[in-house]
Amino acid sequence: MASVTLKNITKNYTKDITVIKNVSLEIKDGEFIVFVGPSGCGKSTMLRMIAGLEDITGGELYIGDALANDVHASKRGIAMVFQSYALYPHMTVAENMGFALKLAGVPKTEIDQRVRKAAEILQTTHLLERKPKALSGGQRQRVAIGRAIVRNPKVFLFDEPLSNLDAALRLNMRVELSKLHQDLKTTMIYVTHDQVEAMTLADRIVVFNAGIIQQVGSPLEMYENPSNLFVAGFLGSPTMNLLEAQLVGLEQGVAVVRLPKGITLKASVEASRGKVGDKVTLGIRPEHLRLAVGDEAGAVPARVDLIEHLGDHILAYIEIPGINEILSVKVAGNVTNLKYGDAIRVVFPEKNCLLFDAEGLAFKRVA
Amino acid sequence: MALGKNLRRSIALGGQYAGLIAFAIFTTFPFVWALSVALSADPSHIWDFPRSFLPTDISLMWFERVFKEMPFMTYLKNSTLMSFWTIVAVVVISVLAGYPLARLRFPGRGLIFVGIIATLMLPSEVNIIPNFITLRNFGMAASHLQEVLHLPDDWNMREWIGLNSYFGAIVPNFATAFGIFLMKQAFEQIPQDLIDAARVDGATELQIMWRVLVPVSAPSIAALAIFTLVNAWNDYLWPSIVMTGKEKLPLAVGVFNDLTGPFATSTSLVMAAIVMTVVPVLIFFAFTQRYFVSNLSGAVK
Repeated sequence: MASVTLKNITKNYTKDITVIKNVSLEIKDGEFIVFVGPSGCGKSTMLRMIAGLEDITGGELYIGDALANDVHASKRGIAMVFQSYALYPHMTVAENMGFALKLAGVPKTEIDQRVRKAAEILQTTHLLERKPKALSGGQRQRVAIGRAIVRNPKVFLFDEPLSNLDAALRLNMRVELSKLHQDLKTTMIYVTHDQVEAMTLADRIVVFNAGIIQQVGSPLEMYENPSNLFVAGFLGSPTMNLLEAQLVGLEQGVAVVRLPKGITLKASVEASRGKVGDKVTLGIRPEHLRLAVGDEAGAVPARVDLIEHLGDHILAYIEIPGINEILSVKVAGNVTNLKYGDAIRVVFPEKNCLLFDAEGLAFKRVA
Repeated sequence: MALGKNLRRSIALGGQYAGLIAFAIFTTFPFVWALSVALSADPSHIWDFPRSFLPTDISLMWFERVFKEMPFMTYLKNSTLMSFWTIVAVVVISVLAGYPLARLRFPGRGLIFVGIIATLMLPSEVNIIPNFITLRNFGMAASHLQEVLHLPDDWNMREWIGLNSYFGAIVPNFATAFGIFLMKQAFEQIPQDLIDAARVDGATELQIMWRVLVPVSAPSIAALAIFTLVNAWNDYLWPSIVMTGKEKLPLAVGVFNDLTGPFATSTSLVMAAIVMTVVPVLIFFAFTQRYFVSNLSGAVK
């Protein structure tokens, strides 16, 4: 087991194309870290650099206390699980799992023993003599994970390991990966573009965009206090409602903003670094928007555009006259009288509203 | 309607079979004719079409005669030896050259590949004279070495690597643009993840090649082996130029030299020899064809 430390890591493919820009991060021993971000944000490249499959252009990578920049992939004490599983098609499951040990010259009896133990953990003992082509997708993924476990690595690297599985299986494997981490207590670095996987698996999430770390933190912290617009929009499903607005008033712990058409709203944020007249963005999550009861003060009139019934809750897409954005509202599943075209009024609770400045950086929320 | 559908299907199927059968007849009739002539003890009908396709008075007499009239087993041994080593060398060289061209990045890679492919444009006869001179020099160098080292005269090292040597008869065929091209294409088909997985597992470049890429590319290697075998087995011109000693001739040259020409004894005899020449290749093909099935299934999703 080991910590992983990235110090000012940079990756250039050519002189002009920089895909990772000065990334620094400390990953603690035994931590489950998830790199998340849209396609092409550099998260996979970062993982491959940690694995030793890509050269590091600049900066330092430490695995444990040892500088690992120029250490061969096989000598870093890492094991990697690939999105495509990458099983050797001509070898049986047991041979696949034992290949690394065989190359390292481990005696045959010990290889057998370690392969059996890993197979037991993953309940794949009955598959050991099969070839990969005789396995289902889920079984292949287990074998790929087993191949990593057998090596007894200091750090596990997962490159979108669940994205080729169907939805139900993905859910199962997610739970199993979580359990596996609890059992092995090994450092794990997991890359995904699926923010649900990130939220559920991670001790800490690292959000990447355009080769830069946007924010690092625990899933809940990131969800509740995104540090910028990108993180706010990326985490959460459906995504946070974001509205263009203008700062019109600053009070102690409350900012007053005006939406187009003169609607004013309040947000409990410390906005003293902004000034009246600034362009800002107001953000509020769908589950925090609320239908007004009676003629509640401060409620904003809107019209229902579309209703999605999802069983336990309803998603209502609404439009506020004069504002181009469609807002989504999460409503309890028993509110069944909403329908297309209804005129409603929604409340933006002050304590749930987030505010971002013109650069997209969040104003600190007031607890 | 159901009947119409069935009828249409039958016609389509019948058409496909008719096409395939016609093609099969077209490709096998020379062999069938040779076999029929070789099996006929009475050669009087061999030029009557289509009567000649049915053997008259079946017997193995001509096959027995082949063994008496020429040293068939010697030629067979020579052909086998030369084809075997040609296949081994072609596969090894094509794999070793194909891997870096497909998978490693180095300056000049594209240019080198274009250069290799360009040799396909040259007719093989262009090589005859330079190769002949090179081989003669090889032989002279070898005998010089023998003198310098005071090795016994009966070693005759000139005929190890020079003219009239097995080595000389096959060495120009070792590096083939076709083989390198085929292996490069095969290696390019293999997903990068598989190579990365092997690298993380601790394999060196050579181990990645021999333990992962080569087994996975078995169908391409089998195809290359068959193709090389057919070429090497049937190679006539170059061995007939290089080989002077009868005891080193391969089948293709031996059969032609001994059984045709102004003093040729019998067409039936030649046909029997030809049939016996072709059969080993057919047997080899029967045993290797199962490797042609793709080996990549199950590797990646």
